[in-house]
Amino acid sequence: MNWLWRALAGLILWAVLFSAVYGLHGAGCALGWRRVPVLFTDWHHLAMWLVWGVGLVLHVILLRTMPQGVPPGRSRWLIVAGAWIGLGSTLFTLFPVIATSTCL
Amino acid sequence: MTVTSPADPRAIAPSEPMVDALDIAANPPRRALALHRELDAVWRDEPGWRGFFTSVNHGTIGLRFMVTAFVFFAIGGVLAMLIRAQLATQQGAFLDLDLYNQIFTMHGTIMMFLFAIPMLEGLALWLLPKILGARDMAFPRLSALGYWCYFFGGSVIVLSLVFGVAPDDGWFMYTPLSDRTHSPGVNADVWLLGVTFVEISAIAAAIEITVTILRCRAGGMALTRMPLMGWYLLGTAVMMLVGFPPLILGSILLEVQRAFDWPFFEVARGGDPLLWQHLFWLFGHPEVYIIFLPAAGALSTIIPILSRTTILGYGAIVAAVAGLVFLSFGLWVHHMFTVGIPHMALAFFSAASALVAVPTAIQIFAWIGTMWMGQVQFRLPMLYIMGFFATFVMGGLTGVMLAMVPFNWQAHDTHFVVAHLHYVLIGGFVFPMLAAVSYWMPLICGRWRVRGLGEAAFWLILIGFHGTFFLMHLTGLLGMPRRIAIYPANPEWEWLNLISSIFGMVMAAGFALFAFDVVMQWLFGRRSWRNPWRAPTLDWAMPLPAPSYNFASLPGPRHSDATALLPLARGEGLLPGAPRGWRETLVVEPGSGKPDHVAVLAHSTLLPLQTSAAIGSFFAAMLSGFYWLAPVGILLTIWAGWKWGDIMGTDRDHPPAQVAPGLALPLHFQRRNTLARTGTLALLLADGTLYASLMFGVGFLTVVAPNWPAPESGIATLPNLLAALVALGAMALGLVASFRAETTRTTPMGATWAMVGLGTGVLALAALAVLAYGLDDPTRHARDALRGVVLGFAVFHGVVASLLALRSLADHRQGRVSAARVGASPIWQLFQLFWLGTSAASFILILAQEVLT
Repeated sequence: MNWLWRALAGLILWAVLFSAVYGLHGAGCALGWRRVPVLFTDWHHLAMWLVWGVGLVLHVILLRTMPQGVPPGRSRWLIVAGAWIGLGSTLFTLFPVIATSTCL
Repeated sequence: MTVTSPADPRAIAPSEPMVDALDIAANPPRRALALHRELDAVWRDEPGWRGFFTSVNHGTIGLRFMVTAFVFFAIGGVLAMLIRAQLATQQGAFLDLDLYNQIFTMHGTIMMFLFAIPMLEGLALWLLPKILGARDMAFPRLSALGYWCYFFGGSVIVLSLVFGVAPDDGWFMYTPLSDRTHSPGVNADVWLLGVTFVEISAIAAAIEITVTILRCRAGGMALTRMPLMGWYLLGTAVMMLVGFPPLILGSILLEVQRAFDWPFFEVARGGDPLLWQHLFWLFGHPEVYIIFLPAAGALSTIIPILSRTTILGYGAIVAAVAGLVFLSFGLWVHHMFTVGIPHMALAFFSAASALVAVPTAIQIFAWIGTMWMGQVQFRLPMLYIMGFFATFVMGGLTGVMLAMVPFNWQAHDTHFVVAHLHYVLIGGFVFPMLAAVSYWMPLICGRWRVRGLGEAAFWLILIGFHGTFFLMHLTGLLGMPRRIAIYPANPEWEWLNLISSIFGMVMAAGFALFAFDVVMQWLFGRRSWRNPWRAPTLDWAMPLPAPSYNFASLPGPRHSDATALLPLARGEGLLPGAPRGWRETLVVEPGSGKPDHVAVLAHSTLLPLQTSAAIGSFFAAMLSGFYWLAPVGILLTIWAGWKWGDIMGTDRDHPPAQVAPGLALPLHFQRRNTLARTGTLALLLADGTLYASLMFGVGFLTVVAPNWPAPESGIATLPNLLAALVALGAMALGLVASFRAETTRTTPMGATWAMVGLGTGVLALAALAVLAYGLDDPTRHARDALRGVVLGFAVFHGVVASLLALRSLADHRQGRVSAARVGASPIWQLFQLFWLGTSAASFILILAQEVLT
């Protein structure tokens, strides 16, 4: 079962990040975060960038750590594939946080 | 029964062994016929009508699921023909509007809930033990309970059509159309209660499938070497555990709104119809993949065998399945692109909808590559697979079109969407299922089909389907909306509709011919020879038709594929025969497949039928409006549930079972990590998803629904706070008691701790009753109604945890625990922990609501 968790870690992280960013998006719109300026952007965008960015870093960590100690073969391949799928999914499905308008 | 010659040299050799080379010796050979008689006496159904009602065998229940699903499919198909007859001309007078609404609603409902899901459940129940090398599913009584719930619930839904009170709000029951104001009759109640009743079977099957795949494989079969069908069905089952609870919650909330006026979806009192859409599509989109994955599993099994080679890209397919399972939960909002969602949220779901095409495409290319590498035999199953390719790929591509927001806005609610969904569902499910039935029929009935009929049926279905639905893309692009019974005299729509209707009848004739062919094969086909497809998989390592026990001895490291038919029949595999007169199967460690213990499974019993009748009495009371009678149904269900535990267990320690020379394993009574514990974890995954969906509802209404903030609450009082703290404290003490009851089970303190657990459960329930008394009027505002549901959730789980404490107490009193036997304590601990965790989270949520407002 430990192997299965390692293989699914990247996808589980994607699910957590997707839920978190979608939740932040809804909460930010309700609480008026886009009207709070921070540096060159607004608090709403910044909060979602932070979650997305930290999530991508976590994905890279998973990519490096999850396969450790597993001998080469199908088991290791599946762990690496799972980590890459998670990273790719987070990168692609959450990239709209970069610039899309938030609450319109 | 036909047992024939040894291994066929033309059979496909597996690319690598399906099991690890554990050091397990072979059992000495015995007479196959004597073994067969010994096992069949234990595993076969009881004779006559009693056997029909008491069967729990996966072979019987799985087939029954599939036959019943095909009967409902035929009913749904007739309704489709009525729809096409109505739409053949622009002012069709064939059906009146009310009846038309009922018919298109019932067509969708039957096809999704009474055909597709039960069909995949039936295939999984029937096939999984055979392909994994087990004698039955993990919980045979649960299989039977699921079937009876499906049968009763489905029958009520279909009979409502006969009585003219069928659901008529569309198969996705959008509010406010389906609320009491706009649907005052029982039509919507039939859907909400009937579908929820049927969904019990889906959750039951999902638990069964998950546990069977993780724990009931052949000895030494590691997860990474499992047949691909196992991976697909594991993905399906997990998706069902996570995908169905949002719909169950939505159905409960809408029924409570209709019955008791709690305003979850009513804007004026803080609700929002969009909450229903979110809950429905949180189920509805994963549902598409829930249906597709088992079909893809059949394709991944059949394609290499009929291409005389091995599957290309096993690892890539497993990774694609895992990707699909997760990504499919990030798409649901693409069904809601036109409801006014902010651009950024649209973009998240549009991107995810496009991305999900990648793992699907990986599988398509793997199948094409497999066929390219091999020598394709165009037998009947392969014809249906060709039909799948031609149809599903087009449906997938129109799906990518609909994932693009600008196109979606144009095509939404038109016949383009109808065409797309039929291309996906018939292409992605029906064609593969027809291939699967054609492929496994010799194993089901032991007979070979009559050549010619099946091919004719295939061409009629293929031509009829594309003639019907390809044109519907055009009708949709020309602007024709869905769900209309009549349409204006628009010549561009008329001829397309007429031709669609004509080809629809051709398709119906094809399905009728398919059914006729299957019946002819079952009744009059010549006897099939062993392993007619020369397949390597374990499902063919048995005589034809499949015996009630599947394997006289179980596959293991030395007998891991279809060439082991004779050694397995002679008892050279693991756990040969039925020496104790019990239904036994091997249980393995989830990852490695190392043999762990021997599970004793349930014999034939009326209990599943009685339990489904008890649950049904609750639904019947709700449907008929006799709400005061509903508690009787709950009490009957509790009584039936108690009986389930009462007839299990044992009051003495048993010697280990001899599985193979030098390998003796304990029976499950003397293990802690049993199938029941794994099943409870699977159930709690579904339960946790239901709770998470409820929290989503609270969050969604809080931040999105108009008419918030809610009126001032009166629950923030000291007595209520004390009652909440007493409840949480009692639950925590109950959790301690549940663990102490296990660790002290060999002393009199064990029973004492179980009694403490029961007492704390009752105390917590009493405190929750105090809280219920102090709630604000739940009909006032959606926030107050949701608090009522949160409290109801805690009460329900409190009753379950208290019953488990009582079960543990009875175990101690009846001598069903010992140093080796732990009884019900591990299950009680899990439920107690879940009760405490969710209740604490609810307490913090309500506290935060009060403090922040």
